[in-house]
Amino acid sequence: MADANVPTFKLVLVGDGGTGKTTFVKRHLSGEFEKKYIATVGVEVHPLEFFTSGGRIIFNTWDTAGQEKFGGLRDGYYIQGQCGIIMFDVTSRITYKNVPNWHRDLVRVCENIPIVLCGNKVDIKERKVKAKSITFHRKKNLQYYDISAKSNYNFEKPFLWLARKLSGNPNLEFVAPPALQPPEVEIDAGLMQQYSNELAAAAAQPLPEEDDDL
Amino acid sequence: MADVETKKIQEQAEETVESPDVHFEPIVKLEEVEIKTNEEDEESVFKMRAKLFRFDKDANEWKERGTGDVKLLKHKESGKTRLLMRRDKTHKICANHYVTDDMKLSPNVGSDRSWVWNAAADISDGQPEHQLLAIRFANSENAGLFKTAFESARESNTKLTGKPASEEKPAEGEEESEDESEEESEKEEPKKEEPKKEE
Repeated sequence: MADANVPTFKLVLVGDGGTGKTTFVKRHLSGEFEKKYIATVGVEVHPLEFFTSGGRIIFNTWDTAGQEKFGGLRDGYYIQGQCGIIMFDVTSRITYKNVPNWHRDLVRVCENIPIVLCGNKVDIKERKVKAKSITFHRKKNLQYYDISAKSNYNFEKPFLWLARKLSGNPNLEFVAPPALQPPEVEIDAGLMQQYSNELAAAAAQPLPEEDDDL
Repeated sequence: MADVETKKIQEQAEETVESPDVHFEPIVKLEEVEIKTNEEDEESVFKMRAKLFRFDKDANEWKERGTGDVKLLKHKESGKTRLLMRRDKTHKICANHYVTDDMKLSPNVGSDRSWVWNAAADISDGQPEHQLLAIRFANSENAGLFKTAFESARESNTKLTGKPASEEKPAEGEEESEDESEEESEKEEPKKEEPKKEE
């Protein structure tokens, strides 16, 4: 994954606790949607890989603790950041009010890097921060997106915009990565029996949430 | 005013305040490259929108794996059919395995539009891995169409390889007594395709 010749960018992901930073990262990593809230302590770094019309790229994403008590040492996280995402929760006004603080901390260390402001959780009906009242990005030259890690609304846009800015190519698009032919494997009967027992147990567990729009 | 209220709700997916178009000095040059999908030599025999899940054994729960089109792709030369699914928008691969003899779609508890199955060697994360997968469709009709296509892909693949187990010895009698005595109703028919050479 960390091939030396794959363009890799350090991305700093900040914002108040509970705005959905870790959930957003996990969505991109494995596809899952994590509903449980477990506050991130310190920082977790994840390589997020994308295939673009200009080849493979990696955002080394520094998913930072949003909660004050788990913070500290932030300058260290910001150092050599090449791009950023500031996240807030459109159902919580205070998280938008704090955006200028996150922005100030980030640009104090990382001058003049492309930054995306994301208003997350737009799938929730009781939106508190109306789109029209989100104007901070205009003053500070940020890109803004309404997103939803839950419904996937615009979930790829922040990375696409950053990739375009970092490469200076406004026409960059995400493309389908190669799907290698899978291997043909022989599974012995014992293992197969174990698998089918596991499947029977799994089939008895319901799938999450039925309200998808397929 | 009622009209204003409805209007407001419709605007929930609101138009946002436009972002300024700012120039940043690029830090990397990404030349246009041709990336092969590796689907070029395959024919899509089935394609439908669905949501895929995989079972997390430690957490004992199903986790979302991706939403997008699930496809059954038949290779033009080998004739083998695989299941491939990519996520919307990013096109990342969330399932990639052959449809093999041992794969059986079973319903998931309380759902008439979902199936679960075992994939012994799925390579959507790069390395072959065993995955317990579940897939959900918009409705039971779509789920039924998928099942039909999946099963015909399995049959066609099985014919290609010949039954691995019965290949060695010329099957002596149709007994198969020891395993799968339970609910293996569908595949009861004798395998007529076998060119068995009894002298």
